[in-house]
Amino acid sequence: MFISGKCVSSYRLAVTLTRCYRMCQNHVLISYHGRLNDFPVQTLVPKVAFSTEKESKELVLQDYFNSENKDKETYLCMVDMFKGRDIHRRGHVEFIYAALRHMEEFNVHKDLEVYKSLIDILPKGKFIPQNIFQAEFMHYPKQQQCAIDILEKMEDNGVIPDKETETILLNIFGRRGYPLRKYWRMMYWMPKFKNLSPWPLPNPVPSDAFELSMMAIKRISSVDVETKVAVYQAEDIPESLDKTWIISAQSPRQKELLAQNPENSPIYVEGAFRIWLRNAQVNYFILRSDYHHTYEEEKEDEDDVSRLEVPLVNQPTSKIVQAPSVHEQEDGTILAVCATGTSSRDSLLSWIRLLERDGNPSLSRMPILFTSKSPLGAVIQLEDVKAE
Amino acid sequence: MFLCQIKHGLCPHVTRLYRQGILACSDHFKNRQFCGDKEPLISSVGSMSFVSRRFFYSSNNCWFWEKDIKSGYGSKEKHSRIQMIRDGLQELRNEIGLWKDEITEKLHCDPIVCYRPGEVDVMWKFDNPESLSRWVATSDCDHGEGFSNCNLSITSGKKCLFSGTLNTTVPKDGRIKKAGYCNMCCHRARKSFKREAYFEWNQYTHIVLRVRGDGRSYLLNLATSGYYDIMWNDVFHYVLFTRGGPYWQITKIPFSKFFLGSKGRVQDKQYPIPLNRITSLGISVGDGINGPFNLEIDYIGLEFDPTHQEKFAYEMYRTDNFIAGY
Repeated sequence: MFISGKCVSSYRLAVTLTRCYRMCQNHVLISYHGRLNDFPVQTLVPKVAFSTEKESKELVLQDYFNSENKDKETYLCMVDMFKGRDIHRRGHVEFIYAALRHMEEFNVHKDLEVYKSLIDILPKGKFIPQNIFQAEFMHYPKQQQCAIDILEKMEDNGVIPDKETETILLNIFGRRGYPLRKYWRMMYWMPKFKNLSPWPLPNPVPSDAFELSMMAIKRISSVDVETKVAVYQAEDIPESLDKTWIISAQSPRQKELLAQNPENSPIYVEGAFRIWLRNAQVNYFILRSDYHHTYEEEKEDEDDVSRLEVPLVNQPTSKIVQAPSVHEQEDGTILAVCATGTSSRDSLLSWIRLLERDGNPSLSRMPILFTSKSPLGAVIQLEDVKAE
Repeated sequence: MFLCQIKHGLCPHVTRLYRQGILACSDHFKNRQFCGDKEPLISSVGSMSFVSRRFFYSSNNCWFWEKDIKSGYGSKEKHSRIQMIRDGLQELRNEIGLWKDEITEKLHCDPIVCYRPGEVDVMWKFDNPESLSRWVATSDCDHGEGFSNCNLSITSGKKCLFSGTLNTTVPKDGRIKKAGYCNMCCHRARKSFKREAYFEWNQYTHIVLRVRGDGRSYLLNLATSGYYDIMWNDVFHYVLFTRGGPYWQITKIPFSKFFLGSKGRVQDKQYPIPLNRITSLGISVGDGINGPFNLEIDYIGLEFDPTHQEKFAYEMYRTDNFIAGY
C-alpha cells in the first residue's frame, strides 16, 4: 500500500514536472510579454529543478538582446536566430516589439535593412484577407498594428522605406492591409520633406568636432556670400596656451566695418552661443561692436504738399548713403564669427591676435572686452528635469 | 460592413475615424500620442480583450462626437457663480472699449483697398511686454505628459524670445507613448464681447517672419477651427527652418505650401488653406532633439506677392475608395 502510494505520487510528480516543463516553455514566450511590460522577467519563471541536465539546458531563457556586442551584425543575427528557431515562429509579434525597443541600444534605429528584416519576420500569405468582411474589419489586428508600429518607428527616425518594403508588406497583408496604407502615405509625404531645408546637412552629421564646427561656421556665414572661412592654428601665436584649431569667418565688408570702428568704442568677444546641426550642437563666438547709426532719417510731414520733390528733376540730395550691410544689425555689428577646438578664453585671445595678423591691423588699437559666459539660457541637466 | 455601405465621403463618422488616425496612421508632427483619458492601460500587447482591439494612436478616441473643444486639456478650475459674475463685470469695461473701436472702424469706412506688392503688413510686432499678453506658451509638462519646459519673454533688444528645454523622456504612467514638444500660440481671433472671429488674410500670399533661431527647425501652425467637432482641430502646418547664428533671417513662406493636419496627423484629403477662416497662429518645436532651444522673433507679417500664382503645392488626386480617408 505504502509502496504503491509512493509509486502513484512519483507518477504524479512526473506529470507535474512535465506540466511545469511545458509551462516553462510557454514562459520563454511570456518573457517577451514581461519585457514589454517592464516586468522583471525572472519572477515569472518558476524555479523548477529538473532531474536531467539535458532538460535544464533547454529551459534556459533565451534573452535575445543581452549580447555584449551591440551592433547591427549581432542584431540581425538575433533576428535570424528567431526566424530559424522553429517553423511556426510563435510569439513573433512579441519578439518584434521587444526588438523595436532595443534598436537604439544597438544603434540600428536609422537602418532600413534592419527594419525590413523585422517586417520580414511576419509570415507571408496568412494575413491576407480572403473576403470583404475580413478586409474591412482589420484581419489579424494585432499583427497589422505591429507592422504599423514598425513603420511608425521608421517614420519617427526619418527612415524612408523602399520598394522592397512595399513588396514584403504586400506579401504579408495584401493590398487592403492598413500597414500598406501607412506605407503609401509615408512614401507620399516623407520624400517631400526630406530635402526641404535650405541649409542641408548630412544624415547623420559627422561626430568629429572640427568638421561639425566647420559646417556650423559655414552655415552661419552663408548670410554673406563673400565671407571667407579661414582655419587658424593657435600654435602660430607663441604665447598661446591652448594649442588648438580656430575656424574663423570674416567677409571683406566686415573688415571694412572693423577698420571704421572708432578707436574709443570697444569691441566685444561674445559667446558661447549654441547652434544645432541636427542632434549635434556647436558653440560659436562672435566679435561684435556697437551699432553706429550713420544716418538719421528725418521725419517728414507726409501730408505737406507745399514742397514736393521729383527725383527725376531735382538735384540728388546728400541724404543718399550706402545701405547697411547684413552685418549691421540693431543689436550690434557682427565683425567676425569663430569656433575653436577648446572654446576657452585663451583660444579666443589667440583668435583675436590671428585676426589682427590676417588683415585687421586696427584691432591692436581698440579696446576689446571678453564677455564669455555660459551658453544662452539656463543650462539644465536632463536628469534634473526628470527628477522634478 | 458599416464602412462598406457608406458612399464615398459622406459620413462624418468615418471621416472622424480617419482624422483621428484610428482607421489609418498618417504622418504625425506633434509627438503627442496617448489614449483617451478614461481608457484603461491596454496599449500593451499583453491584453487582448474586446476593448483592446481599438487602436490607441491619437489623442482622443471619440467615436460619434466630441463634446470638448479642448479635448480635455482645458482649465479644470471651477469658479463660483458669484466669482464669475464679478470677473465678467470687470471684463465688461475692456469689452466695451473693443466694441467702441469696432464701431469707429466701421464708421470710418476705410478698408485696405490696395495691397501693395513687396510691402509687409506686420500683424504681430513684439516690442513691449504687452505684445505678449495675447500669446501663450505651453509644453507637455503642463499636462503632466512630459518634461519639456518653455518660456515666452521680451529680450533687452525688444524682441520676443521663445526659449526652453526640450525633453523627450516619456513619463512612466503607461499612458503616454511619446513626449517632447513646446508650443507658442496666439489667442483665437475674436471681436468684442468674446464673439469668435477670423483673421481675414484672403489678399495675402505669403507669411513673413523675421526670426533668429538656433539651427533647429520649428513648425508653423495656422489653425482653422471649423464649426463641426471634426473640424475643431484643423491646423495647417509648414516648417520654419532657422539658420542659427547671430544674424536675423527673414523667412517668407507662401500659404500654398501649408498642408492640413488634424491633431498632429497629416490628412489624406488636402485642400488649400482657407485664408479667411484662420483662427490662430502658433509656432511649435518638437524635433525630438533633447536640449535647450531658443527662437527670437522680431515680427510676424503678411505680404501680397502678385507673381506667386501657385494655389496649392500638393497633389489633390483621389485614391481608391476606402484606401485613404475622405
